[in-house]
Amino acid sequence: MSDQTHIPAGHDLAPGEEEQHSVGERILGYVVGLVLALLLTATSFFIAGTDLVWQPSIPVALIVLAIAQMGVHLVFFLHITTGPDNTNNVLALAFGLLIVFLVVGGTVWIMAHLNANMPPMDQIMMRQ
Amino acid sequence: MLGKLDWSAIPFDQPIPLVAGAMVLVAILGVLAWVVVKGHLPYLWSEWITSVDHKRIGVMYILLASVMLLRGGSDAIMMRIQQAVAYQSQGYLPPEHYNQIFSAHGTIMIFFVAMPFVIGLMNLIVPLQLGVRDVAFPTLNSVGFWLTATGALLVNISLVVGEFARTGWLAFPPLSELSYSPGVGVDYYAWSLQISGVGTLVAGINLVTTVLKLRTKGMNYLRMPMFCWTTLASNLLIVAAFPILTATLAMLLLDRYLGFHFFTNEAGGNVMMFMNLIWAWGHPEVYILVLPAFGIFSEVVSTFSGKALFGYRSMVLATMAICVISFMVWLHHFFTMGAGPDVNAIFGIASMIIAIPTGVKIYNWLFTMYGGRIRFATPMLWSVGFMVTFIIGGLTGVLVAVPPADFMLHNSMFLVAHFHNVIIGGVLFGAFAGFEYWFPKAFGFRLDERWGKAAFWFTFTGFYVTFMPLYIAGMLGMTRRMQHYDVAAWRPWMIVAAVGMAVLTIGVICQIVQLVVSIRNREALRDRTGDPWDGRSLEWATSSPPPVFNFAFNPDVRGEDAYWEMKAHARQQSFEHEEPEYQDIEMPRNSPTGFVCAFFATIMGFALIWHIWWMVILGGIGAFATFVVFAWRDHDEYVIPAEEVARIDRINIEERRSLVSMAGAV
Ligand code: HEM
Ligand SMILES: [Cu+2]
Repeated sequence: MSDQTHIPAGHDLAPGEEEQHSVGERILGYVVGLVLALLLTATSFFIAGTDLVWQPSIPVALIVLAIAQMGVHLVFFLHITTGPDNTNNVLALAFGLLIVFLVVGGTVWIMAHLNANMPPMDQIMMRQ
Repeated sequence: MLGKLDWSAIPFDQPIPLVAGAMVLVAILGVLAWVVVKGHLPYLWSEWITSVDHKRIGVMYILLASVMLLRGGSDAIMMRIQQAVAYQSQGYLPPEHYNQIFSAHGTIMIFFVAMPFVIGLMNLIVPLQLGVRDVAFPTLNSVGFWLTATGALLVNISLVVGEFARTGWLAFPPLSELSYSPGVGVDYYAWSLQISGVGTLVAGINLVTTVLKLRTKGMNYLRMPMFCWTTLASNLLIVAAFPILTATLAMLLLDRYLGFHFFTNEAGGNVMMFMNLIWAWGHPEVYILVLPAFGIFSEVVSTFSGKALFGYRSMVLATMAICVISFMVWLHHFFTMGAGPDVNAIFGIASMIIAIPTGVKIYNWLFTMYGGRIRFATPMLWSVGFMVTFIIGGLTGVLVAVPPADFMLHNSMFLVAHFHNVIIGGVLFGAFAGFEYWFPKAFGFRLDERWGKAAFWFTFTGFYVTFMPLYIAGMLGMTRRMQHYDVAAWRPWMIVAAVGMAVLTIGVICQIVQLVVSIRNREALRDRTGDPWDGRSLEWATSSPPPVFNFAFNPDVRGEDAYWEMKAHARQQSFEHEEPEYQDIEMPRNSPTGFVCAFFATIMGFALIWHIWWMVILGGIGAFATFVVFAWRDHDEYVIPAEEVARIDRINIEERRSLVSMAGAV
């Protein structure tokens, strides 16, 4: 297997493979990631239960925190960087985002329209 | 102690499944006994069951698919007979049995025939075409296969222990919820798909990584054979779509096991969400199946026309376009659910747009043939048959993608005809073309052409006689999945369809005979050069069957149709005579991880279905422990010494050289 692992076409590596750094540096990276992830998680739980902030902003805050959480995972654990040796990973991420966007967006759109062919229920209820 | 399991689970009152199950059991035990008595068990264990060689795993996938094709085919025969006789009568299959049969038929044909067949062919061929020694994750590959086999096994166990789902192949709620399906049928369905779904996902990740990461020198993206491209697209779709299936079934299972209300009628559940999610997986799934078939046809058509594939780049573009657009059309499966004209129109148009890249491909194949020197060997017959048949299926697809038309045709026999038209005419014909085309590569001898051609013509005619009447019955108003009916006008068409099924069956028998005859005559049919069809891509550059390490040297690719150019080169300069310097090769060791994992997964799946909780825990711990043991392994590679590599390679080079000199003498 060994002589087919140096890839001729392009020069991109699998996630985790690109690390030329020392062990200490790598551990530091993971620790920072872990701390950030825990912090974001704790904040989410705190926000969900608190009445210190304006209530309607809570869902928005949770979404923002969730996206930040994904970012932390991608950067610290999955090692997505913008370096030139990372094209495959970035492309895979873009493909994933596109599909998620299509499926989630489409679902929301479809589910919001499912009553299109129904008689307006609220008016019917009122007449009775 | 045994959860819901007791003697009432064995259907003593239903002779058909019991006898069928008993026969299968006897056959399996017979084969096992033969294997043990003849002392083949060590060979099977070390060369196949624990093998992490992508070629062996590919062959096992295809074997699984072929066996399950026979099972699914028996279901089909029973259904066709039932509908032929059940006019103003109950026929011979009671409703609850008939419902199980059509559910099992669909589930088996999609998940345990079509999927393993195409995944098997991709496994077998893609590393060879890329000029590399293995897939990216060999042991994971074996895990994927064995988990798929687990799913298939569970479905077959349901034949004799308990029952199968009566809900159709996608188990729509609320029918599949506990209140309407209290039995274990839906649980069999859901757990076998959950387990095999993990296997499929693993296979998808593996093949995507293989194509992206393991290519030989000079094999850049735009030099890859078309089959590698369609493999990439299809497996990207697997990675993107299968998690949706898993999540949807998980929600259904939560409803059934823990009293959740995702898809129930009461407590705020929403059945329509299930439709939405299952089809968000379901439509990409049909392209997961058909894209590899497109790749196979591309290879076959260009080889047997003796020309490079016409419009290679447009073909790549069309493949990737289909890959993305297939995620934009899923609503066409539930136009009638009432999303209103705007939504329906957009998804209808998107569905028609997907026909455009498909059309591009058809034209490319036609232009590849145009002006070529065509050899009508069996793989080519399947390909031409596919082109004719698939066009009809695509056209009726575009027809049902027109919302107003679909309001008339939805869930009618017309729909049944449409999807069999594309799946048989596309996927199955593709699988057979690939089987005939690559069989010599896998086993070192060709298949008998006469029986192959007979199989093609019977299957081809049988297909038309079976499914064209269903279009008509659909237009006469017949809905799908009817256990009996009272409309006289439908009767003749059902009888014709049953006759067609008989012709199809003859086709399948011919295929079996072909296999037997070819094995008998294997010496005469031996492929000594490794290149029986005058092929163009790298799988033909090595011997048939290839050595474990595929290539003594990873080939150096200088353009499209890599092997074709090498041959042209060699003819001009004749073979260089000095021998290359052979080197040691490291290959991954065999591993029982996959088999052991699947063994525990089977136990766990069965226990979950029957609510035997201690056994669930046992199976879960076993599977996890297997994983841990594998993760902490020490040695996972062994070395093939250079002399051995040289010995194996010299034989093949000698054969080839004599062939070229013979060709030169003519
Ligand atoms: C030009 C391309 C295609 C178009 C426009 C198309 C369109 C459609 C539409 C609109 C339906 C739903 C009809 C209804 O339920 O009333 C449908 C069903 C179906 N199609 Fe296609 N199709 C195409 C190609 C394919 C291909 C290539 C396959 C498989 C390889 C396929 C497999 C299926 C299956 C399995 C169903 C029915 C599933 C079920 O309800 O059980 N289709 N198609
Ligand atoms: Cu579809």
